[in-house]
Amino acid sequence: MKYIKKLTKAREFSSLLFLIVLFAIVGCININFLAPSSIAACFNDSVVFTLLAVGMAFAIFIGEIDVSVGANLGFTASVVGSLLRDGYNWMFCFAVGILIGAAIGLINGFGVAVLKIPSLIFTLGTNGILRGLIYVYTNGAWVENLPAPFTAFAAKPLLANLTVFYTVTILAVIVIHILLTRTKKGKYFIAVGDNEGGALLVGIPTTRTKITAYVLCGVFAAVASILYASRIGFITAIAGNGYEMKAIAACVIGGISLSGGLGSVIGASIGAVIMSSVSRILVFMGFSSDYDNTITGVMLITIVVLDALMQRNAAERIRRERLKARAANVSGGKGGEQA
Amino acid sequence: MKGRKFLSWEMFLLIILILEFVIFGAKNPKFLMPRVLFASVNDFIAICFIALFVTFVMITGGIDIQAASIVGLTSIIIGVGWQDGGMNIWVASILAIVAAAVCGALSGFFIAYCGVQAMVVTLGGSFLYAGFALLVSNFSASEAYQGISGFPDSFKIISKFKLFGVIPSQLLVFIVLIIIAYILLHRTKYGRSIFLVGINQEAAEYSGINTRLVILSTYVLSAVSAALAGIMLTSYLGTAKSDLGANLTLNIITAVVLGGTLSTGGKGSVIGTALAALVIGILRFGLSLCFRVNTQYLDIPVGVLLLVVVIGRAIVSRPETAAFFKKLKKES
Amino acid sequence: MLILNGGKEMQNAETSGEKNVLLSIQNIHKSFGLNQVLKGINMKLREGEVLSLIGGNGAGKSTLMKIIMGIYQPDEGCIYMKGSQVHLTKPSVALANGIYMVPQEPMLFPNMTVEQNIIIGFEEKPAELRKRLIAQMEEVGWKMDLNRKASSLSIAEQQLVEILRGLLRQARILILDEPTSALTFDEAESLFKCVNDLRSRGIGIIYITHRLAEVFEISTSVAIMRDGIITLSGKVSEFTKEALVKGLLPADSEKEKEEAEETGHEIDYKNQNPVLELRDFSGYGFNNISLKLYPGEILGVAGVVGAGRTELATTIFGMDEVLGGKVILDGKDITGLSTRKVLEAGLNYVPEDRHLHGLFKIADVARNTTSALLSEKSMGRFLLNRKKEKEVTQKYIDDFRIKVTGQTQLAGSLSGGNQQKIVIGRSLSTGPKVVILDEPTRGIDAGARGDVYSIIHHLRKQGVSVLLISSDMEELVELSDRVVSVFQGRINAEFRKADINQDNLMAAAFDVKTEKGVGA
Repeated sequence: MKYIKKLTKAREFSSLLFLIVLFAIVGCININFLAPSSIAACFNDSVVFTLLAVGMAFAIFIGEIDVSVGANLGFTASVVGSLLRDGYNWMFCFAVGILIGAAIGLINGFGVAVLKIPSLIFTLGTNGILRGLIYVYTNGAWVENLPAPFTAFAAKPLLANLTVFYTVTILAVIVIHILLTRTKKGKYFIAVGDNEGGALLVGIPTTRTKITAYVLCGVFAAVASILYASRIGFITAIAGNGYEMKAIAACVIGGISLSGGLGSVIGASIGAVIMSSVSRILVFMGFSSDYDNTITGVMLITIVVLDALMQRNAAERIRRERLKARAANVSGGKGGEQA
Repeated sequence: MKGRKFLSWEMFLLIILILEFVIFGAKNPKFLMPRVLFASVNDFIAICFIALFVTFVMITGGIDIQAASIVGLTSIIIGVGWQDGGMNIWVASILAIVAAAVCGALSGFFIAYCGVQAMVVTLGGSFLYAGFALLVSNFSASEAYQGISGFPDSFKIISKFKLFGVIPSQLLVFIVLIIIAYILLHRTKYGRSIFLVGINQEAAEYSGINTRLVILSTYVLSAVSAALAGIMLTSYLGTAKSDLGANLTLNIITAVVLGGTLSTGGKGSVIGTALAALVIGILRFGLSLCFRVNTQYLDIPVGVLLLVVVIGRAIVSRPETAAFFKKLKKES
Repeated sequence: MLILNGGKEMQNAETSGEKNVLLSIQNIHKSFGLNQVLKGINMKLREGEVLSLIGGNGAGKSTLMKIIMGIYQPDEGCIYMKGSQVHLTKPSVALANGIYMVPQEPMLFPNMTVEQNIIIGFEEKPAELRKRLIAQMEEVGWKMDLNRKASSLSIAEQQLVEILRGLLRQARILILDEPTSALTFDEAESLFKCVNDLRSRGIGIIYITHRLAEVFEISTSVAIMRDGIITLSGKVSEFTKEALVKGLLPADSEKEKEEAEETGHEIDYKNQNPVLELRDFSGYGFNNISLKLYPGEILGVAGVVGAGRTELATTIFGMDEVLGGKVILDGKDITGLSTRKVLEAGLNYVPEDRHLHGLFKIADVARNTTSALLSEKSMGRFLLNRKKEKEVTQKYIDDFRIKVTGQTQLAGSLSGGNQQKIVIGRSLSTGPKVVILDEPTRGIDAGARGDVYSIIHHLRKQGVSVLLISSDMEELVELSDRVVSVFQGRINAEFRKADINQDNLMAAAFDVKTEKGVGA
């Protein structure tokens, strides 16, 4: 019973609740939205953002940020896509993609953790470079004619109406969540973001943890890029533009605190589903998909402001209670000693 | 005043600028032709305008990545206001500036009074205001991708006017803005309070400074500068588009950081930013004209420049480096 | 063999014989860039010993502790534990060797529970650790809800959690860095009991403190650190308080002290109106405070840390909400006004923590001095009057004898004493009628201290009234015309000139009834 209580208090629970309520409301307006295939599509569509958000979560857990994941996706997808198109073995292509993602992550991690450069600035720089590299690599042309089995795989269902991609992703998320919350080293990420100085004092290798977080973020972006290529079927030169913002929004909506040290990958994945659902809902209701980014922007700002206000109020309340207690404690004083 | 070290950084930027002229000029003499050189200004004048005032924001320790979206918003408001709203073009321009100021104030409010991180608010803002721009463009009869054109000559002239027939008005406006920004930041009490807030907000509070209002005001200034850039660009291109200025953010931030502003706040200089903006702008123009680098690739050198500057600064400011150099001096 | 590693062999022979020497530090040097912080530290810690380490700010205590904890590496020197050399390259190595440091500000993970905070980093299963933790808590007799979030704990509770971390790790060496600086009296007593208990179990404790009273209460030996070396050390029974104080002062401090001597001064209480009056003033951390401050008077405010004095001051200054009562400055009601308005009305406040709240470290001296003047017309209507700024700054540099290389020197590079002078100068630049000083000589060497006392006397001559909040009883005795004592948010005593002595003040601060009774 206590466990259930703790569960319901979790931020992830309220995010999930929000999702259910959202579906219910839209369902009331148009019952077709609640068809199994329609609901499943909301989840399936979110697979790329889920992976990006989970990777971003690592960077945010340690108290930093990574705004290069969108460019990472675009670049890696371009490379992997072109290799696939040119007939290379798919295992080889995927391995190359993962390596690229890891390399980008390593560079970001090095800049932030070792050189101690503010993460926003550093990843802004790598973002710009990667965006340019996409053009260098593709000459501005689209990467098309990807092998049919590769693109067909995106729609392959596994469980109910959910695709293989999404099912495997969700299982992976659950496994990762368990690793992060139950293993000794898994807890390092959140600890570093919660209090870096304190983490150092209890012997946590903070620099190594930060670099690992960025490498993981890069690798997840690479995996996301492979799924992206499979789902969309072609890669433009502006692929992934703005995706970093969506990944951040998904994390925030899912209850991850941007100052680090709080949140879970489960929350990030719920946030991703919420965002995909909102996109689908807009289309479903007949609005132009142009407003997608606007709505995401509104959600992001609203949640972040509410979170900040709540945290500030809570902190202020605790401080004032403490002070009041100190002053009110007249009888508890020590009056026993005799001079 | 904190003079000597800073002067040398600005000197350094000036030297780089001169080097650029030398290298690009040697590669392609056309580069040095006044007609060509001054015309190039149009490509990067937006960066120059906005970077000046994003400097204010970053000195307080914040950051502004929404300014680029506000450029487009301004542009489309002018277009729709004039074409579909029947407003006088100047009234539409003023409306656009006011709208921009409101956007800046909104974000500034969340940052200063609600305590939300600047990066997140302006990140959300960048998409929110781009979305607003799209919304506004939907009110227009014209298609979004076409943009709105056919502006009156009196409007277009503000970007076509040339002093002595050579110096474009954009450059003149830039110089005026530099003067205003310089006086505001380095010579007024307001500017001093911006620095103090950036160095230690608590201590500034204890000195009786209204720190939150100061922070909010910097975002308003940067938004207004984005509006001015939007007006200038719209006038020059003759078309109002909602996605004007879409990819400016990297260049703006690089200009501010390259100009000597610390991303942690407390330090910055208008002259430095102005020089850095020119360095970046000329770099882009020179690479594309003289080395035929495709425009799409130009973000790479800017990104590299940003990383080199911040990495270099991080290494140089470490105490170990000072000790290292002292050792070298002793041994030699 | 004996001749080859000459010195090292000798040292090994010496320390290997003393197996109960938990920690032996020899000839540690450490510099940061061009700044030499530790210039050859030698120190020994034995089992069951409580070694008090005292020294002013900047003496190098934190740096030394961080070296022991593996956070920094020494440039020169060796560390031995139980006779064998250890290389503490990072905190995990120090932890593995049984060293644990409780930092001055507890460094817990605010979003984790107490239990998670304590068991993080261990290899064993959480269930096992929990059992051990509960057993450990019973042993020391502490009750704590393991499921509370660390962010909701009081500082004292956080400190206990830190100590539990050390105990669970079966630390043989515990470093406590100013542990009582944020504790109330009860909590401090509880801590002392704990320390004694640990001592009896053979654990060695390094106890860093500014408070000489604690040194005599709790330690077995003491070491004084100044300017990067240990100047005095030995068993605590060999020292008196005066000897310790002498060991802390630089050699030429005697003449400074003389200059601080003050001739008698009479305040006219009958015919003057108070310049500052608090009527039933209540806020967060204090209740129903009523007091009067007269022109040219120095009113000392005694009390222990956490009594509510700083909260009183910051609330007067407009930084926190007023819950009741009034503040009247020279006849004008300034209750609840914003900081700027309070400044304009003529009251200024020098914050307790100059590093956090007082200084603009990367700004120069001039900017620091004039920061409060920005709202004034004297500094220009819109444009900054640079000439006036230079004048004002120079005036304070001269008057206060602030040692600077020029007005452009960065405040962060000045010594503690000079930094404090600048912050005080700034508070005077607005021409206030009342100045509240909060721990003005904390962390300052004795030479600058004398200067600050002169400044305070100087203020009085100019007719400025001073509310002097201080935990330094000697200071209060030396400077105040009257003293009120605050205990747990209320005034519990008031003393006039004749009755102002350290015993009375100390007793009142701890709300202890003396023979004379606690007057009000």
